[in-house]
Amino acid sequence: MIRIENLHKSYPIGKDSLHVLKGLDLHIKEGEFVSIMGSSGSGKSTLLNIVGLLDGHDEGNYYLNGQLIEDLNEKKAAILRNKFLGFVFQSFNLISYKTAQENVALPLYYKGVGRKERLKIASEYLDKVGLLPWEHHLPNELSGGQKQRVAIARALATSPKVILADEPTGALDSSTTDSVMDLLKGINDEGMTVFVITHEEEVAEQTDRVVRLKDGVIISDELTESGKSKMLQNVR
Amino acid sequence: MFDRDLWAEIFHSIKKNKLRTFLTGFSVAWGIFILVLLLASVNGMKNGFTQQFNDDATNSIFISPSVTTKPYEGFEAGRRIKFTNDDLKYIQGNFEEEVEYITPRFRKGVTAKYKKETGSYQVRAVYPDHKHIEKTIMDAGRYINSNDVDKKLKVAVIGKMIKADLFPDEDPIGKTFIMNNSTYQIVGVFSDKGNEREERIIYVPVTTMQRLYKNTDEINQIVLTYNPKYSYAEAINFSDVLEVVLKRRHKVAPDDQGAIYVNNNAEGFSDVSNFTTMLTFVSVGVGLLILLAGIVGIGNILVFIIKERTKEIGIRKALGAKPSQVVNLVLLESIFITTLSGAGGMLFAMGLVSLIAKVIPKSPAFADPSVNITTVIIAGVILVVAGVLAGLVPAIRAASVKPIVALRAD
Repeated sequence: MIRIENLHKSYPIGKDSLHVLKGLDLHIKEGEFVSIMGSSGSGKSTLLNIVGLLDGHDEGNYYLNGQLIEDLNEKKAAILRNKFLGFVFQSFNLISYKTAQENVALPLYYKGVGRKERLKIASEYLDKVGLLPWEHHLPNELSGGQKQRVAIARALATSPKVILADEPTGALDSSTTDSVMDLLKGINDEGMTVFVITHEEEVAEQTDRVVRLKDGVIISDELTESGKSKMLQNVR
Repeated sequence: MFDRDLWAEIFHSIKKNKLRTFLTGFSVAWGIFILVLLLASVNGMKNGFTQQFNDDATNSIFISPSVTTKPYEGFEAGRRIKFTNDDLKYIQGNFEEEVEYITPRFRKGVTAKYKKETGSYQVRAVYPDHKHIEKTIMDAGRYINSNDVDKKLKVAVIGKMIKADLFPDEDPIGKTFIMNNSTYQIVGVFSDKGNEREERIIYVPVTTMQRLYKNTDEINQIVLTYNPKYSYAEAINFSDVLEVVLKRRHKVAPDDQGAIYVNNNAEGFSDVSNFTTMLTFVSVGVGLLILLAGIVGIGNILVFIIKERTKEIGIRKALGAKPSQVVNLVLLESIFITTLSGAGGMLFAMGLVSLIAKVIPKSPAFADPSVNITTVIIAGVILVVAGVLAGLVPAIRAASVKPIVALRAD
């Protein structure tokens, strides 16, 4: 689903440039539940931006759903994002003057889905994350965990290939963290590729595979307990 | 442009952001409002001045005899000059090309009587041409005609104030009344834009009046209009020539400033035209500056709005909005607000102007404030277009903002 070969990325800082990603190789197959671990400055956000088509890369190849990503202009990136990717952010990033239902329906609007149809789909996904009774509420009338579940419903609405979650639990307390992670796990169980970026061990442990990043290189890439058991099940 | 969903998004965003909408709309409406009021007031002043001079034809020349101030050709100073019918005929005969309308004026004060009503008025004995020079407006009946003059008929045309005095409940046309012991038939009633005093005048044929006064051939004044195709310089030259020939006829020293007065309306009117043209220039200048202030105001608010919406735009882009969709959203919203509030400010100001026009009485300084709708619409379009241009830069910048920057957790 996601294949990265020898990926390099530098940011210019004044005359110098900061080499953030120093030749990453990563392959994430369809249906995987992967977390990228790393402290701040390790390059994990940069990696997410490149994978999420929010930023370009300097060197190396990036294949999304088998398609080589190159010569990316804004318009093309927007279309690909809308088609393949669903985002979940740390700060939820819901539009404050739209209701939960309208927020979830927004990516469907950019996909060109008619108003009635997209509101219906939005309600279905809100039901899926257990927030149907709150569909006409504004974001500031929801708790942090509820907001993040709305954001997850929004990411799912266009039935993307990959869910990209950037510190999805960073702004949540431990009990809501668990419920959000359970939700992501459930989505993964239905076959969705989920790609989580985090610096919390507890969060990473709940995924199937942990990729550790330090100073722009991958230092380890191993399966967690749940990942191993899933693997065993598949072998049997 | 006519995407229903896009408009739904725009209305939604307008409805949910009332303060922002109000701020933008208000600055546009206010700019237009001030501009309309300014243009209308200048128009009002202009109309006031012009009306003062529009009482009479703008190309009229008044020639009045007076008293010599210098001895000349054996005559002593202090001799009274008198115009006669011959002077009029001389001008008629020698300046056919130059003169449009010409009339003598022979003035007498009279006491007029009808049934029990009496009043003192001024009689002006004239030619039919006088109607065009004085811009007399006929309310009923007819003016003096050449038949009246030729046959010296005792007919009179009365001002509407006289009708109000002598014929409060009657139609005066065809009635006879008495002026200084002679009986006249009323053939017309007139009104005049000048003032009420002009409407307390009785016009009669000059020949009739002269016969009644011992068959005199004296006239008090010659009034004429020059060829309307004349330029200002030609008009002034013509009145200078008239002054020279009349002085020669009456043996007046060429440098005598007092004996014969030739008043050319062109002189005064030229001053007023210059003044009102200047006034228009000034008002257009001030109007443009106000527009500029409005544009800067809109630009300012738009920059602020875009800044405020950067995060929202970033979210929309992450969810798959194309840059053009972002620009459309922001620009159409501001076009919609500016157009609507511009029209609102315009309507409000024009309503106020027409109210002022009704409430404030006409005066020489101010009359009929009004505004040229095309001017206002052009100004409105400029304002909206400039407002949009001012918003385009921040909109494009916002659309080019990388979602990662906009979405950075803060």
